Amino acid sequence: MSQNADVHVVAPEMAVSFLKGIMPFDSLDDATLNDLARHCRVDFYPKGTRLLTTGETEITHLYLIQRGGVKAFIKDEQGEVTLKDFRGVGAYIGALGIIRGTPANLNIETVEDTFCFLLPREIFLKLVAQEPTFAHYYLKSFSEKIVTTAYNELRHHKVSKRSGDDLYLFSVRVGDLVKSLRKVSSASSIQQAAASMAEFRVGSLLVYDPMNEEDIVGIITDRDLRGKVVAAGLDYNLPVKEIMTSPVQSVLSQSLCFDVLLKMMGTSIHHLAVERGGRVIGVVTSHDIMLLQGHSPYYLFKEIRGQQEFSGLYVLAQKIPEVIRSLIKEGAKAGNITQMIAILNDHILERMLTLLEEELGPPPVPYCWLLMGSEGRREQTFKTDQDNAILYADPVNAEEKSAAESYFKKFAAKAIDHLVNCGYPLCPGEIMAINPKWCQPLSVWKGYFSHWIDAPDPAELLHATIFFDFRSGFGDSNLARELRRHLNKKARAKDIFLFHLARQCMSTRVPLSFFKNFIVNRDGEHKNQLNIKHQGLTPFVNFARVLALKHGISETNTLARLKALFAGDFLDQELWAAANDAYELQMQQRLIHQLAQIEEGVLPDNHINPEQLSDLERRMLKEAFAVIERLYSVLDKMYPVA
Amino acid sequence: MIDLLHPGSWFVKSDPLLLANKKFFTGFDQGQPLSEYTFVVCDTELTGLNKKKDELVSIGAVMIRNLQIDLSSMFHCFIRPENIDPTQATLVHRITPEQLESAEPIEDVLPRFVEYIQGSLLVGHHLPLDMHFLNKATTKVMGGTLSNPGVDTMRMAQGYKRVLLGHYHEHNPREISYNLDDLGREYNLPRFKPHDALEDALQTAYLFLYLIKKFRKGGLVTLKDIFQSGRVGSFRY
Repeated sequence: MSQNADVHVVAPEMAVSFLKGIMPFDSLDDATLNDLARHCRVDFYPKGTRLLTTGETEITHLYLIQRGGVKAFIKDEQGEVTLKDFRGVGAYIGALGIIRGTPANLNIETVEDTFCFLLPREIFLKLVAQEPTFAHYYLKSFSEKIVTTAYNELRHHKVSKRSGDDLYLFSVRVGDLVKSLRKVSSASSIQQAAASMAEFRVGSLLVYDPMNEEDIVGIITDRDLRGKVVAAGLDYNLPVKEIMTSPVQSVLSQSLCFDVLLKMMGTSIHHLAVERGGRVIGVVTSHDIMLLQGHSPYYLFKEIRGQQEFSGLYVLAQKIPEVIRSLIKEGAKAGNITQMIAILNDHILERMLTLLEEELGPPPVPYCWLLMGSEGRREQTFKTDQDNAILYADPVNAEEKSAAESYFKKFAAKAIDHLVNCGYPLCPGEIMAINPKWCQPLSVWKGYFSHWIDAPDPAELLHATIFFDFRSGFGDSNLARELRRHLNKKARAKDIFLFHLARQCMSTRVPLSFFKNFIVNRDGEHKNQLNIKHQGLTPFVNFARVLALKHGISETNTLARLKALFAGDFLDQELWAAANDAYELQMQQRLIHQLAQIEEGVLPDNHINPEQLSDLERRMLKEAFAVIERLYSVLDKMYPVA
Repeated sequence: MIDLLHPGSWFVKSDPLLLANKKFFTGFDQGQPLSEYTFVVCDTELTGLNKKKDELVSIGAVMIRNLQIDLSSMFHCFIRPENIDPTQATLVHRITPEQLESAEPIEDVLPRFVEYIQGSLLVGHHLPLDMHFLNKATTKVMGGTLSNPGVDTMRMAQGYKRVLLGHYHEHNPREISYNLDDLGREYNLPRFKPHDALEDALQTAYLFLYLIKKFRKGGLVTLKDIFQSGRVGSFRY
């Protein structure tokens, strides 16, 4: 009978390999796993089965999900249901209750047909007591749950001021930073103003109209005193009015510090008036915000602005990922992060081209450095390929024409080199200013767009779409505006062009369902991975572009386009909100994915392995894909095939 | 033992295990809640499909108690066939000729299996085939057949599909595959290696749990309910 016994003690391979594949069981040796597996039972719960009920269910075993998924939720006295979590294959249920010896703290219900391994409570407790990794794992994951919840709430703008030193950029309202209002009459002398600044130890004063103290007409700062008065040898007895900056840029007191910082960096204005209920209550400075934030994007921004050497810019550009990393860790939303990336990149570009102009001398005609594609939409992640072009004013004669051609040729070649040194890779499709085709005067550029719109060739259009997202990166932005005007005027009336664009948009396949049945790449290097850019984000970008062109909206940023479409009543509120959230969520996923790659020293890409996502992430991603279907049906109705 | 005590007897008396089993299932109550029964899900591997000539080469089985698969109680044995043809068996089964050479003869394995299934209902995918070979063997070795009632998951699956699709569907039932592997795929069950008796038994056990709980959601709570609802399972007394 000994052989009989042998047969019975061997656990089936599938049970052992299942346990081996989940944390923290993977740390156990084979003999222990084998023994554990033999103590398990397997149960099946059809979709919709309640496994645990808060405060009631005594937990007799740990559930390990082998197939399917569950949701965890709480229900308050009013019967209001709050979803806490989704858990899928490999996740556990009931550990906290077993460890604390309390009934279930959450309601658990299966959301799919679910198979679970059941590990008896006593055996699980023995493991927790004997294996330090077990206790550590479960306790740690409880606190991670809290973090996940925090992230979720952040996504829904629910975070208000909270203790702890993280998240302040996103939790502190600028109104909370404002100190008492210091102001001066516009008729006061410069010297009087300087004296009160010294007395109150402030770097700026708001300036009011002598007729009405509530009417803030301008602002003066330390810098004004230095630059406009002392350095210029101006008479100290002149009224403040002569040197004040007017009107004052203001922000609302309930604005988040992060948004205010973005505004300061975007406009290069360091002092902003803070308004509450239509009244100015004080001034907030970049310094005030800096104090909140130990190492911030702002430091980097300032260093870029002050940089005098190309080599210095190379170094600073490499610091961008580090700054972005801290923003992601603070829980910044993807839309904000990409905006921040765009601002920092723009400043690198601005500084570099300014230095280049100093080196090569002023350009013979005004020009505008155009940014295309994701840069044009202010949606770059860490390092995206260069997509740029030069647009210059039409030369008036042959001489000017040849001067412009040779200047911009040289200019572009140097600029592209510097950008490469900063870590922005070359565009494989050669959509760069160095390509003579994309370094042209306004009239030629207008001709390009007319051609794409009037005689749309689907194959050609496919490569041209990124041009429709151009914006001015540096230089004379009037040129870019003029080109945009031309484009909007042409595109609006051209249904056949929009039709092709819409059809092209819908040709991107939507990953219909999830994971095992997620549509992922079936072969090649990125087998079983999802391309979050092409399959997840591009449909939203394309959708927003088609509708923006149709309705003459000049915005290039996808979220801004969607918002403008909603504001113009071209998109209903519900769909706008869903698209906005879904798009932002996927950008977030992509950023986090690329950040992890950068930290591992791998080149960032867009290939996400659904198996490595948390259940919550997977679930949210799945919902995001459902939105794409809805967008397509809007387009489909607008531009039917037949 | 029996043969030793009655050396000349042409009448082989049933083994006490078989008799006890028969006694247990006499007047068997089909009306209990499903969770009260113990099921043994089994699968056999054969030398071939010829009902007269072919023999068992392995038996795999798992136990279901309280409608949960009990991984602590499993059965898996290789059996040395009397007419061994090593080349044949290796083609389909994951059994090497060496494993068969060193396996026990059916006389040693079968009583242990009968003991293991004592008092349990048998479950199998296309169970009549397994039952044919098991009963052939018990008749020869133990002087009688198994009295355990049996449930065929293939017929359960057919019944389930009838319930799902309704009685008036125009689908030709022959177009639907009731192959164990295909059903596993269709119901998105965890998958096992085919053509290994124990793995196939596990696969069948998962299918059985799936079907019986899906049925139970529809209000069918006793064995009798299930039997009557879709003419599922082959019951013998």
